[in-house]
Amino acid sequence: MYMYLPIALTSVNYLVVIGLGLSVGLLSGLFGVGGGFLMTPLLMMVGIPPTIAAATDANQIVAASASGTFAHWRLGNVDVKMGVYLLVGGFLGGAVGVQVIKLLRATGGADFLIKMTYVVMLGLVGSFMFVESIYAMRKKKVASAAPVTQVKVAAPAKKRNGFFASLPLQVYFEKSGVTHSALVPLFLGTFVGVLAAIMGVGGGFLMVPVMVYMLRMPMHVVVGTSLFQILFTCIEVTFLQAYSNRTVDFFLALLLLFGSVFGAQIGTVLGKKLHGDQLKILLAILVLAVTVKIVLELVLQPSLLLAYAGGH
Amino acid sequence: MKLSLLTVVKRWTSVAVAFCGILAFNASTAQAITCEVTPREVPISISYHGAKLTITGQTAPDDDLILKISSKPHDTAMKYYGKAGGLVWMKQGGLEFKGVPGVYLVNTTKDMNLILSETERNQYQLGYDAMAKATKIEDDKGQPAERKWFDEFTRFKEKEMIYKVEQGTITRQHGEKGNTFEIVVNWPFQAPPGIYNIDLLAVNNGKVVDKTATTFEVKRVGVIAALSKMAVDQAALYGIMSVLIALAAGTAVGAIFKKGGGSH
Repeated sequence: MYMYLPIALTSVNYLVVIGLGLSVGLLSGLFGVGGGFLMTPLLMMVGIPPTIAAATDANQIVAASASGTFAHWRLGNVDVKMGVYLLVGGFLGGAVGVQVIKLLRATGGADFLIKMTYVVMLGLVGSFMFVESIYAMRKKKVASAAPVTQVKVAAPAKKRNGFFASLPLQVYFEKSGVTHSALVPLFLGTFVGVLAAIMGVGGGFLMVPVMVYMLRMPMHVVVGTSLFQILFTCIEVTFLQAYSNRTVDFFLALLLLFGSVFGAQIGTVLGKKLHGDQLKILLAILVLAVTVKIVLELVLQPSLLLAYAGGH
Repeated sequence: MKLSLLTVVKRWTSVAVAFCGILAFNASTAQAITCEVTPREVPISISYHGAKLTITGQTAPDDDLILKISSKPHDTAMKYYGKAGGLVWMKQGGLEFKGVPGVYLVNTTKDMNLILSETERNQYQLGYDAMAKATKIEDDKGQPAERKWFDEFTRFKEKEMIYKVEQGTITRQHGEKGNTFEIVVNWPFQAPPGIYNIDLLAVNNGKVVDKTATTFEVKRVGVIAALSKMAVDQAALYGIMSVLIALAAGTAVGAIFKKGGGSH
């Protein structure tokens, strides 16, 4: 029942860890998020040191997102062109974000800023998605109650924002059915990359709403493309963490990925059975629950007033 | 002549007193103190979840015993939480605990405060109060920090299961095999690999009257040792291996599910 982890220097019940992997992998396949913002605190709860938890989580996300990307690829849900633009932006943003954190650590304000960024970003994203999904679902109910002839009227063509349309390097993204300037996904990728580096996460839960609401991509393509982008980001993070910090625990990653790859597949199949708005509302609830948890952690006195130096 | 007789009597009296003294001393130290630990080497294998250490030995029948298991003292850097702006709890700064052991487990035959004087407890660093007196705590600016942080430190370590003081846990037996003692220690898996010291102190009339020490080693073996070594010595290869295996596992499961999947 127990397995010793050579880098984390602790022993864990492997069924518990596989279970964690399965649960977070399921969410990954369902929503297209890496699950880092959930997995890292869960691993810390089972006794894994924070630095090892964060680095090893990136390693297991490689497996889960590879599995999820593969599944979505077969379903035709991966917009590779859009993914590459976002990825390039994400790498640039990640490099900028790391420098921002370095600067803030030197001034001593990093910890507070990281937590507040979490609360504000998660709170905003979660609330917006929740309200928007409720609104969309109500709208559909009204539409379905209306006569059939009205429903069959062709929907008006999407209005393209004047400013975005006026930008140079306009590219048509076939898979998503949208046209944007290449600068838009590059800029948004950079923006998410900066926030992801500051918050120490892959950024899937930020990238998904950006793709849905700003790039106007269909939800199922969003999930596949997000996983594609997360896959490459986490490959880079895993290698750098193993090489520079020696904080990747291979055994822990194996246990997690054993659960998460299956979870991701189940999530993908489950996702097909749910409507886009239902998916969005579930993700919104999840994001809001994590926000509440972080707020409580901030305002309630911790049970221990000390922590090892070098963690988050 | 009278004087010399008196001298002889005095001398014999001195000899007699000295002899009685030797007898009395022998009564308490008639049995050489011994301490053995089984196993002497604790292997950390893939299924390791701590170990049971059996510590046995012999001591004088009237002595109480204190057994301390500890690792070599070193400086430990910690971060402390405080309330920022009177509203939110944040890590506010660093504290360095000078010369504290990573692992500190103490077991006794009776309440340590009753069997050993404070001076002796401080000298041998037995109990948290004695440790606190010997430990310097400095903040980020090198200023001494309050004692309350040492209490927090021991609470933190106790939660990690690597600090514990247990009274009355050593059992003694007086029989044909002599005056023996035994204690079974549940060695925590949280304790890192390394060499640990066992100090056994025999206590009588509030003082340490005899002592002995031994060591044991907790070491990684097999695949655990190989992976730990690789992560440090061949970090790049370790990183590439971690990525490739994750990719292979992910795509393999993706392929397995292929038959079960379908078009959207």
